Amino acid sequence: MKLYEYMIRRLILLVFVLFAVSVVVFYLVRGFPTGIAPWAAYIHSRMTSEQIEAVIKAHGFDRPIWEQYFYWLRDTFSGDWGLTGTWAQGRPANEVFFNHFPYTVELSVVATIWTVTIGLLLGIVSAVRNNRLPDHISRVIALAGYSTPSYWFGFVLQLVFFYYFSLWNLPHLPSSMASDLARPNITGMPILDGLLTWNLAYVSDEFLHLILPSFSLAFISLGFLARIVRASMLEVLRQDYVTMARSKGLKERVVIYRHALKNALIPAVTLTGIFFASLLGGAMITEYVFSWPGVGQQALRAIFQGDSNFILVYSLVFAAITVVANLVVDIIYAFLDPRIKY
Amino acid sequence: MLGQSVDVRKGEWEARLADIKYMLHLFRKNPLVMTGTSTSLFFIILALLANIIVDPNLAYPEGYSNSMYPFERKYMWSADHIVNWGSGIALYQGSESFYLGTDGWGRDLLKMMVLAIPTDLYNATIITIVAAVFGTLLGAVAGYVGGIFDEAVLRITDVFFAFPGLVLALVFAAMFGRTIETLRLAIILVWWPPYVRLMRGQVLSEKEKPYVEALKALGAGHSRILLRHIMLNTIYPILVQATMDFGGVILTFSALMFLGFSPSPALPELGNLAADGYGHLFDAPWVMLFPGLTMLIISLAFNLLGDGLRDILDPRLRR
Amino acid sequence: MIDRENEEKTILEIRNLKVNFHTYRGEVKALNGVDLRLYSREVLALVGESGCGKSVTAQTLIGLLPENAHIIEGEIILKGEDILKKTKEEMRILRAEELATVFQDPMTFLNPVLTIGTQLREVFTLQKGLFVEALAIARTKGNLDFTELLNKQNSVFQTEIKPSRRETRKVVNSLCVGILRLVKLPDPERILKQYPFELSGGMRQRAMIAMALARRPSIFVADEITTALDVTIQAQILRLLKELRDKIDASTLMITHDLSVAAEVGNRIAVMYGGNVVEVASARTLFAEPLHPYTQMLLRAIPNIANPVERLESIPGTVPDMINPPPGCRFHPRCKYAMEKCAEERPKLKEVERGHEVACYLH
Repeated sequence: MKLYEYMIRRLILLVFVLFAVSVVVFYLVRGFPTGIAPWAAYIHSRMTSEQIEAVIKAHGFDRPIWEQYFYWLRDTFSGDWGLTGTWAQGRPANEVFFNHFPYTVELSVVATIWTVTIGLLLGIVSAVRNNRLPDHISRVIALAGYSTPSYWFGFVLQLVFFYYFSLWNLPHLPSSMASDLARPNITGMPILDGLLTWNLAYVSDEFLHLILPSFSLAFISLGFLARIVRASMLEVLRQDYVTMARSKGLKERVVIYRHALKNALIPAVTLTGIFFASLLGGAMITEYVFSWPGVGQQALRAIFQGDSNFILVYSLVFAAITVVANLVVDIIYAFLDPRIKY
Repeated sequence: MLGQSVDVRKGEWEARLADIKYMLHLFRKNPLVMTGTSTSLFFIILALLANIIVDPNLAYPEGYSNSMYPFERKYMWSADHIVNWGSGIALYQGSESFYLGTDGWGRDLLKMMVLAIPTDLYNATIITIVAAVFGTLLGAVAGYVGGIFDEAVLRITDVFFAFPGLVLALVFAAMFGRTIETLRLAIILVWWPPYVRLMRGQVLSEKEKPYVEALKALGAGHSRILLRHIMLNTIYPILVQATMDFGGVILTFSALMFLGFSPSPALPELGNLAADGYGHLFDAPWVMLFPGLTMLIISLAFNLLGDGLRDILDPRLRR
Repeated sequence: MIDRENEEKTILEIRNLKVNFHTYRGEVKALNGVDLRLYSREVLALVGESGCGKSVTAQTLIGLLPENAHIIEGEIILKGEDILKKTKEEMRILRAEELATVFQDPMTFLNPVLTIGTQLREVFTLQKGLFVEALAIARTKGNLDFTELLNKQNSVFQTEIKPSRRETRKVVNSLCVGILRLVKLPDPERILKQYPFELSGGMRQRAMIAMALARRPSIFVADEITTALDVTIQAQILRLLKELRDKIDASTLMITHDLSVAAEVGNRIAVMYGGNVVEVASARTLFAEPLHPYTQMLLRAIPNIANPVERLESIPGTVPDMINPPPGCRFHPRCKYAMEKCAEERPKLKEVERGHEVACYLH
């Protein structure tokens, strides 16, 4: 019962946060004359001033800001999320968004899988072989990942695995974009669709295209996860109940996996959840460098063009995802640790 | 009474000194941390000397003004200006040999990178300090005062946390024009919330400790308690966080520059230099490769330092 | 000098054990040549103040010293072998089969995210012999009462029919229930499903004792097991221990700082000070005729209902600094009988009467 109450409270918080985010973003993109004009996205250089005026009127940019907000709010609730600017051929914002979202999801899922598998392993090894060579090596790897500029790493991967490999006549990975083979469109999720129609050529091609960008994303954060796992494992391994488990004569592997890990993983799980959510929202630079047709790349363009509608959609969707992810992670935490009661 | 308190103070300082000596000892024993520290020091010294070693005028090719520039970046890259490794045709500066090649304008890449280091380090320092100080103070007051103020601060922080990735910084920077100050402010906006949470948590638990009640009974004012006592005791995690954030801030700063937010395409800054190479990744990979590599090394050095600092300070935190 | 009659009965002997710890402040010379003998089927209480090295002795015995510890010298002979020379894996097997430990604080020594049942079952999975015996009994008699299994049989049972998974689970489950009943825990089936934080302190301690008993060890190490409990629960646990003491074949090394606890359960008492055993005697003898000055002062510091005095005597001075301990006998700075010899060389444990040993130049 208490859990139920907690969830309701958090959901109310979600609504509040979304409102606040929308106000902030709205004001930023439409309210400030010093930056880009809010209508800049909807015009192109060949328009006459009357045409520009007309566009301004049509979008309501001449009205006072709070009126604009009110109209925007009303439209949003009725499902009309506005049109995008010239950079996206003026299509409805949510259409553009949901066309590209599946690609970002794909990328995020695969990147998360990389991160979790490598990061966990690295973290456990560093903790168990604390302060010896494997620990130092994994620490450097972890920190190097964390310190790598994402644009640079993506580039290096492309350079090596695409360019040089093909120069040296080795089999190489495609450098950018998602697969451009014909794709059936059922769920909208590329790989899923491919699997459902058993179009293996497509699935494997898409997968090959995914490897480099997802690894680029993963490399940067697996270090962070490894450090957290290491820290919490070290903490747990110091605990009395681990000594007790050893005194029972259990094999070291059992001690680590059954006793230590379950306790140590709790913060790692929460971190992974939040990481996944943030990936969904923010892999902009990687998508840019790899020309991956995900939603981050579109958002980048929208921001440069000052397209307020798209920016608003993007910000709100991801603010919602972030808050919901935090809530889910908290619930999972309560689930894993039987001591926690709400 | 007075004599007694002086004695206590002295004892306190001696204890602190012994602490610091022990920490330095631990520091020296760890090779990774030492590498990080020495590399960081190297870069700091380089930053301070950079403008002396390399003439800053080399950064701006003839005919280019330093003012804000229109939307599209124009690449001054044509067949005449692509230079190869080793020696080549510079745009306007004689034909010396280039150790790391040249960038899109024919400037010596190595010299540009040296010039870029102070820009990056300086801005990152300002950003980190402002974000940390602001966030810490806000968090400390919120934690101490509690009540509605605390709730309000928490909600505001939540809102900032909800923004995905760099969106806030990007939107802010895009909307407010391309000056360095805007960029700094944009990044500060994104980096301050963690400090609020961190400090608030610390203050909340510190507040309950008996010595605070004792201080209140002695008649100490709230600001004195907060600033002089509570914050001094909880400063370690903040220091660690700030050092670790420094590396991340540098990366963010250069990433924003890379995406195109620099006030001038000629500004020597590592992300900006790398951005030059973006269109020509495979013809002239060095333009992207070396600035990025330097970025990695700097960030790694500071992260090693921060990580080592955390390791050293951490178990000591459990007194 | 070893008592010839007891020689066959000695199952554990610690000889001249020296253990140091590396710390940043210096080398802590925790154990300074510990000599101890444990006879079969007895309870030996190891008493001393905090920091005298009793827990370290136990840790060395079971092979779970922390990383910064260093065994300088000495031997621990168990069943004829020096276990200090064994590998980690061999020690692990020894812990599973011969040396069971019950620890001080059942809250921190039980894993909070695993049920009692899980933590108990994993002990049983290491006990193949026990399982086979239990299986045999379950199949022939149908009912399983753990008291029959309390002591290891030397004969080896063979099973022709391999047990099914279901049967295995049933047998293990009855073993768990049986052993919890043995330690007098009510409603064992329910407890198996609960987490440690759902039980009270006394119940948790009983569960830990069960986990130790399940291994049917030759040596039972109880490290301050009543210290974290309040007095009434303490009394219950001690009563349980006394009951079990008569039923099991194992010897118990009972570590405590509380002389009254030692007197309650111990057959013999060994007194430790500053990393050495200074006196060993039967419980009765120790209280009646303490020979070592430290023991004497210790006893004088305890309030006595039968013989109230005006003022309790405290022992002057403080616990020795283990990094720079006093030379020779570590007690000599506080001893009113100290002689010149005491500061030069440490006195060895010597048998003065039958079954009574002291380490002091006075005797």
